[in-house]
Amino acid sequence: METVGPVSGVQEDPFEKEVSGIFNETLGLIHIALVTHYGLEEGEAAELEKDLYLWFLRFCMRPGNTSPRDSRPFLVVACCQFAREYQKYIIGSGVRQSSDKINKLLEREPADVARDFSRSLELLNFRRQDA
Amino acid sequence: MPRLARVLPFPTRPERATLSPDEARQAAQVYLSTCNTQRLDSMVDRVLSNPDVLAGVCALLREMFETAPASAAEEATTLYTRIRNLGRPLGLFDERDYFLGETALIAATALRFMGKFGDAERWLDRAEAGFRHTINPAPLLANLAYARLALRYAVGRYDDVLELVPSLVTSFGKLGMQREEAKCCFLEAKTLIQLGRLQESLPMLTSLRDSRVVRGDRILLSHVLIQAGNCFGSVGDFAQAASIYEQALPLIQERGPSVVLAELKWSIGDTYKAQNHLAKALDAYRAAQRDYASLTMETSVALLHLVAAETLLSLGRHREAEWEILAALPAIEEQKMVTEGFAAVALLRESVRRRKADPNALRELREYLQARK
Repeated sequence: METVGPVSGVQEDPFEKEVSGIFNETLGLIHIALVTHYGLEEGEAAELEKDLYLWFLRFCMRPGNTSPRDSRPFLVVACCQFAREYQKYIIGSGVRQSSDKINKLLEREPADVARDFSRSLELLNFRRQDA
Repeated sequence: MPRLARVLPFPTRPERATLSPDEARQAAQVYLSTCNTQRLDSMVDRVLSNPDVLAGVCALLREMFETAPASAAEEATTLYTRIRNLGRPLGLFDERDYFLGETALIAATALRFMGKFGDAERWLDRAEAGFRHTINPAPLLANLAYARLALRYAVGRYDDVLELVPSLVTSFGKLGMQREEAKCCFLEAKTLIQLGRLQESLPMLTSLRDSRVVRGDRILLSHVLIQAGNCFGSVGDFAQAASIYEQALPLIQERGPSVVLAELKWSIGDTYKAQNHLAKALDAYRAAQRDYASLTMETSVALLHLVAAETLLSLGRHREAEWEILAALPAIEEQKMVTEGFAAVALLRESVRRRKADPNALRELREYLQARK
């Protein structure tokens, strides 16, 4: 699936460039999580993806986070938590009706959902190494 | 409801204003260089509403441990309180918890540098409460565990340090945090020195001195060199000690008065004293004391009064020694540097009152405090 990354343009800082590269690599998976699984609309997903990038950039700068690539599983956890909080808010405020599928997903811990997604990430890594 | 309005009402969304690391650092510098009482609300708000600037402030505060620990502690505690009482979201996702943990850890470390160990412990607990709720707590909690061990070293619980440090070294190794791993090994080497196990400590310090990670961190390298010099001085190899201090000096002097520069002057004093050059030792101790005073490290200033008093007694300058002791005692009591009823303090005070300073009580008190430095 082709997605337009929220991170475009040339970053001066090499670290930021690395982070944006990793983020854009993961963006397809993030988009699937937000739209297909958590049921967000395309516009909502695009907005949350921008927030996620900002968070991920700062997260990678925290003490002890040695490599943006190794931090990808945490990006997926954050994505699921963002999506869960947002969807709960939207449904809770009556803007959108829920469904059994969404309710089931919202009941699960974001870290568990992310773990399932991380398997896809591992597959992504495997394909990358294989290429 | 219009389409846009369905996106915008998410209650935790902050302003999406990004700054480059340079811009954030610049804004952080403006904030910290403005006196606390003269900061406009808009300036404080800019820090609290932009995590990039807040991260810049935290980075600058960490650089102040060695040069201005009192200011670092004051700024970090103020920031922590403001974040806690903000009443609106800070940053994205787990960033509020992260910054609560980070500011509390900075406060704790700065307070440890100042010798305020009880306060430091409370701030470590606050840091843990923040870090526990972040998305990847392992490296943050490992840093916190290091801070706890450093505090145990500071209060003289050396057995605890030696028992717990290997596990932390393993944790840092697994997390790929090489600099922190080196800091742990350095803490272990310092602890061995305190226990008189110099033959075990020296190879560790030599290995650290030659490691790529330590050589890439001028502050850590200067600390390692000073301790290595102290070790060589303690085993009577004064030429080697002097040579190592010479290597440390340019690394340290470039940053002006700092904890490590004061430590170096103190170490040079000890080396002179071991060679019986007492007048030169006294000059070095007083120079170290001036540095500690400029850093508002009252406990170290008080301890150096006692070190100077011992040296003055050896020089036969009893009256000056009494003045030094009298200058030290109020701070020792105010800062609760000894447990209540510690006999040497009473003996020393009484001996000074009688104009005959008791060298044994003086040595006992100095050794007790030095072991907890």
